[in-house]
Amino acid sequence: MLLELEAVSKIYGIGCGECCALTGETGAGGAICPRCASVVAVNQVDLQVAEGEVLGVVGESGSGKSTLLQLIYQDQPVSSGRIFFNGMLDQKGERQDILTLPSTLKARLRGRDMSMIYQNPHRGLNFNFSAGGNIAEKILDANERNYQTIRSRALHFFTKIEMPPSRIDDYPDAFSGGQQQRIQIAKALSSSPRLLLLDEPTTGLDVSVQARILDLIKALQREMGFAMIVVSHDLGVINHLTDLTLVMKNGCLVEYGLTDQILEDPQHAYTQLLVSSKL
Amino acid sequence: MTRQSDVLFGFLDEDAKKEIRRALLKAVALPGYIVPFASREMPVARGWGTGGLQVSLSIITEDDTLKVIDQGCDGSVNAVNIRDFITAVTGVSETENTTAATIIQTRHRVPEHQLQEGQIMVYQVPYPEVLDSVEPDTARQKEMHANNDYAKLWVLLYEDTSQFGDSRMASGYPVAVNGHYVMDPSPIPKFDIAKLNMSPALHLYGAGREKRIYAIPPYTEVTPLTFADRPFQVEAFPGKACERCGSSRVFLDEVHLDDGVHYFCSDTFHCDTTLDSQGDDHAA
Amino acid sequence: MSTSCKLKVVNLAKSFTLHTLGGVRVHGFSGINFSLPKGQLLALSGPSGAGKSSILKTIYRSYLASDGSALFHRSDGSQVDLVTCTESRVLDLRRREIGFVTQFLKILPRVSALDTVARPLVEIGMPADEARTRAEDTLRRLAIRPELFPLSPLTFSGGEQQRVNIARGIIAPKELLLLDEPTASLDEKSSNTVLDMLAELKQQGIAMVAIFHDQKKIDRIADICVPVEREQ
Repeated sequence: MLLELEAVSKIYGIGCGECCALTGETGAGGAICPRCASVVAVNQVDLQVAEGEVLGVVGESGSGKSTLLQLIYQDQPVSSGRIFFNGMLDQKGERQDILTLPSTLKARLRGRDMSMIYQNPHRGLNFNFSAGGNIAEKILDANERNYQTIRSRALHFFTKIEMPPSRIDDYPDAFSGGQQQRIQIAKALSSSPRLLLLDEPTTGLDVSVQARILDLIKALQREMGFAMIVVSHDLGVINHLTDLTLVMKNGCLVEYGLTDQILEDPQHAYTQLLVSSKL
Repeated sequence: MTRQSDVLFGFLDEDAKKEIRRALLKAVALPGYIVPFASREMPVARGWGTGGLQVSLSIITEDDTLKVIDQGCDGSVNAVNIRDFITAVTGVSETENTTAATIIQTRHRVPEHQLQEGQIMVYQVPYPEVLDSVEPDTARQKEMHANNDYAKLWVLLYEDTSQFGDSRMASGYPVAVNGHYVMDPSPIPKFDIAKLNMSPALHLYGAGREKRIYAIPPYTEVTPLTFADRPFQVEAFPGKACERCGSSRVFLDEVHLDDGVHYFCSDTFHCDTTLDSQGDDHAA
Repeated sequence: MSTSCKLKVVNLAKSFTLHTLGGVRVHGFSGINFSLPKGQLLALSGPSGAGKSSILKTIYRSYLASDGSALFHRSDGSQVDLVTCTESRVLDLRRREIGFVTQFLKILPRVSALDTVARPLVEIGMPADEARTRAEDTLRRLAIRPELFPLSPLTFSGGEQQRVNIARGIIAPKELLLLDEPTASLDEKSSNTVLDMLAELKQQGIAMVAIFHDQKKIDRIADICVPVEREQ
């Protein structure tokens, strides 16, 4: 397995020790603990992703999809649980919970092995750096210190996202929203990550731009073979991009299966509702 | 100049000195690491060398010999005033001789003469945090220093190299100290960076307004951030020499006068000694 | 016979629980048993609504079985129960060993017919040029006009789409193929071509489970026929 989550939870608030048990898919108060009023954004999620697999995460707003992604990418501290990433071993050679890694190794994991594409390009891109600078940052993160190598790698990925090389030194605000999203993709892929995390990558873009970006992501995934976790509330996007799907409700994982099975033979009442609501 | 007896030795009270010395010790122990300190009010405005002044006053003893330069010049108003102030509150002897000085407080230059063991350079620093240009969040800056994560600084180099062929940073060029912390060597020219590497002298940096202290201990590796395939380029003055003493392999000041551009040594002591030795030659 | 068995279905059953309709249970099929050897075609026959397509989908794991097993015999001698194995395992088998040709074209939009058909060959490592040449041959054989090659099949007529779909499904045949009405909406001539191609696949040792509407086609191509009755 490339990535394994064991009982990963995220609780906002003081927490009373029983938050996870008192909330969840069947909890009356939804994700809010009736005893201490803490919000359980992610509730003891177990998850496995193999190398090269494409996993979709669906669920309504507030179900904890994006938080789950941020926990994996270490954008936010995990409240409890363990996360393993293939190849991260302790001194005895046994797999090590990445949450316990020293910060330098955590940073390396984020810089080299994983990449995140955010819904809002302002989170994923540094608008004070040029498009090429943004891509270069990720390559520099991976410790490359040869200018020519960095420049040609940045150009390589910039042209891969179907942008003219002449624009590589322009700044992000000189690009359209769809183009900014492409630059995020180039940046994310420039370190040749093993896991790409996408948080609503095409939400808010108009349909034709959305389609081209999804095609691009799919083509690059096939070519480079990285694993992906795609968070989207759009079942069309999930159907288009993913092999496996995970359904979340109130921070809990309620169903997991092959994407075609989730869409054609959903088991859980919530999933059935979700699928039947598809336009 | 003799010390006025109604002023404490070194102007600062002993508690203040102790606090600054502790910060200095920590700075020396962690080469290039920025240590906060409780910068005191000084009888000059912040931004006029109060950081350097506090460092100098905390380490100075009666046996020291003081030299103060501003951009290489012992005679500029700022240098003279600071030198007068320190000698007034300590009574130590002063000199313009780089080799004779035990403490050299400087603004934006490293002297041309090779520094010696036992000498201490004290730099006046306007902006101590090298990451300010790329990361506004101080908590993030600390994390980046701790993780040796300077990718964002390298991006600046990448962008300058892409757009202008080389770095545009003329002074205060970022240097990696002892293979870990990257620091701002204060606004010295690139020309002086090489003098920091494996220097026998101790280099102390004080930023009064920003309340920060950092240091390079003697014989410490100091390397400018440069791409493996792009050599570090320092200021060069091809075909130019000091019009006063004739030195050419030194940092020259460009002086614009009515009759055009003239070049002189930035380091006035170097210029004077070169001139003197020529006079000796003539005498002999 | 047992050594060459490719798929053994035992007591397979499927029913659906519709929570959105107050938990009503809908019967799909039950008590399905068969054994399919390598190089043979098994036809599922029966009236509409008997659950034939559901059986294929359950074997492919698009549906979760309610009961029973579907043992897939891999060429290395190992067995996998398609009903209970992990999703990752299913994905792996789908990539290399089990193919599904639906009666509807489910493809990426905005990709040309030629690339759509060449794709499975590229995925198993064939150079793109060679894959395209093979794809052209297959499309020609199925009487797709060359001027359509660069267009997206989604713009084609129903019969053309069906043929592109078959071409894509069998150009790089996997060891087990599930075919849901491969000749529906095809004219006599195209149907015959498809049946010829399926016969060739049998020669290559490919095992197939197929649904045909037409008994004549079953008689012509099938080695085994499994009747599926509509539940009373």
